[in-house]
Amino acid sequence: MFHALQLEPGDNVATLVVDAEGNTELTIQAPGKTVVLMTVDPISFGHKVALTSLKKGDIVSKYGRPIGRAMSDIPKGGLVGVHNLEGLRGRGDLVQERGASK
Amino acid sequence: MTPTFLGFPRINDTVGTRNYVLVIPAGRVLSIAATRVTEYVTGTKTAIIGGGEVGHHKRDRERIARLLVGFAKNPNTFATIILGAKRNFGYREVEPYTLAHEIAKAGKPVEVLTVEESGGLERLVEDGIAMARRYVHLASLVRREPVSAENLTIGVKCGWSDATSGIAGNPTFGKAADLLINAGGSVIFSETTELIGTEQDIAGRCVDKADASRLLAMVHEVEEAAKRTGEDIRAINPIPSNIVAGITTLEEKSLGAVRKAGTSPIVSVLEYATQPTKKGLHFMDGWMSAFSLPMSLAAAGAQISLYQLGGEDLPSNDPPMLATNNAVVASLMMITGNPRTASKAERSIDFSSGAIITGTATVEQMGEALFAKILSIASGEFTKGETINYADPLDAYFLGPVF
Repeated sequence: MFHALQLEPGDNVATLVVDAEGNTELTIQAPGKTVVLMTVDPISFGHKVALTSLKKGDIVSKYGRPIGRAMSDIPKGGLVGVHNLEGLRGRGDLVQERGASK
Repeated sequence: MTPTFLGFPRINDTVGTRNYVLVIPAGRVLSIAATRVTEYVTGTKTAIIGGGEVGHHKRDRERIARLLVGFAKNPNTFATIILGAKRNFGYREVEPYTLAHEIAKAGKPVEVLTVEESGGLERLVEDGIAMARRYVHLASLVRREPVSAENLTIGVKCGWSDATSGIAGNPTFGKAADLLINAGGSVIFSETTELIGTEQDIAGRCVDKADASRLLAMVHEVEEAAKRTGEDIRAINPIPSNIVAGITTLEEKSLGAVRKAGTSPIVSVLEYATQPTKKGLHFMDGWMSAFSLPMSLAAAGAQISLYQLGGEDLPSNDPPMLATNNAVVASLMMITGNPRTASKAERSIDFSSGAIITGTATVEQMGEALFAKILSIASGEFTKGETINYADPLDAYFLGPVF
């Protein structure tokens, strides 16, 4: 039985397949091994948990590829979502900000 | 053993999984006639493309024409009846005899009826009904025969994506896609926006270097258009239900979405609503909307359009399905990798690979089971959607703007 999946060896997030409370022990199925981790936040089915502590600006990786950048420091076991992870692509909002500052 | 299905052999050596008479409105003012004829006559399909051709530039009018001609050429179409206003009426691209000329190249029966020759709109409806009934009866004389799966082309879109999409549902489809391609068939995937963040990996799988460059150009074009909105794209796509279900960025959505492309080489990169000329895995430029992509895949020749559903954010009991019978002459098949979606939408879901998430089955096992289900649908088993007498409205993927 596992509570979350780490998809590729280099990924620094795992995806939950259960709903978890904060301060709960998760069994994470990683490629070729199982890892145990304590949650810091409540994390719902399908949402992501940080496997290592992340610094603001760190690249977040899932499927072995970058999925965005941490907008703040994220503790190991913390929820990774729209509140602390931004995309790097299709950022029309950033284009407009640069245009407006001219 | 070669995988097979029971299909309707056509005069042009293609094989249908369904056996429809298609009624096409040549221009949007004929929608009323095409609707009336297909309501009256069983075994018929039509395609009313929202908005129609008026005020669209040539490249977008050509897109409408390619859709209509594509439905007619689809192996599931036995014969096509075009309803027009009169010869040389309206924009050239959707003029009835221009469409008929293009459709006739497929070698299957095609007929044109016009308001002018029938002597009025309601006379046209009467003539259309009589002709459609004759062709439906003729179509009923065609018998299903066992044929190799190499005669099958399937299209796929993923939607209402959640975290299970990239882990279970899309990889399961990817495995089934590999099995069909190994059997000599074709698979078409699309959704250009959802290559953003993974386009280098996908371009690297193109057999032809020129295709790889075109694919990268398609992705670049859509990303530049996204930036011109002035919005962070994740305020648009991923859609709110993706975000509620745990998908945080477009890159994350894309990386999960392309799992449905399996592991086969990409043998062609297609413009929107155009047919492949060889067998294998194809990428088609397209827009992800559930009211647009399934029919666009059908126009490209897919006999079955699959909708790979996440669905975590759907209501908890018998939710409305996100698309119903909008693949025109193709069957729309709903599959999911989310066991919760499979349970709450049991009335609508044709196949679930949710056992991967609960740890009781592998992607390989589920992919093989899905391939068997696809062959059963191809052989005549109805999808759950096909038991409902309703079809959603249709949207073409237009370049815009309109004038």
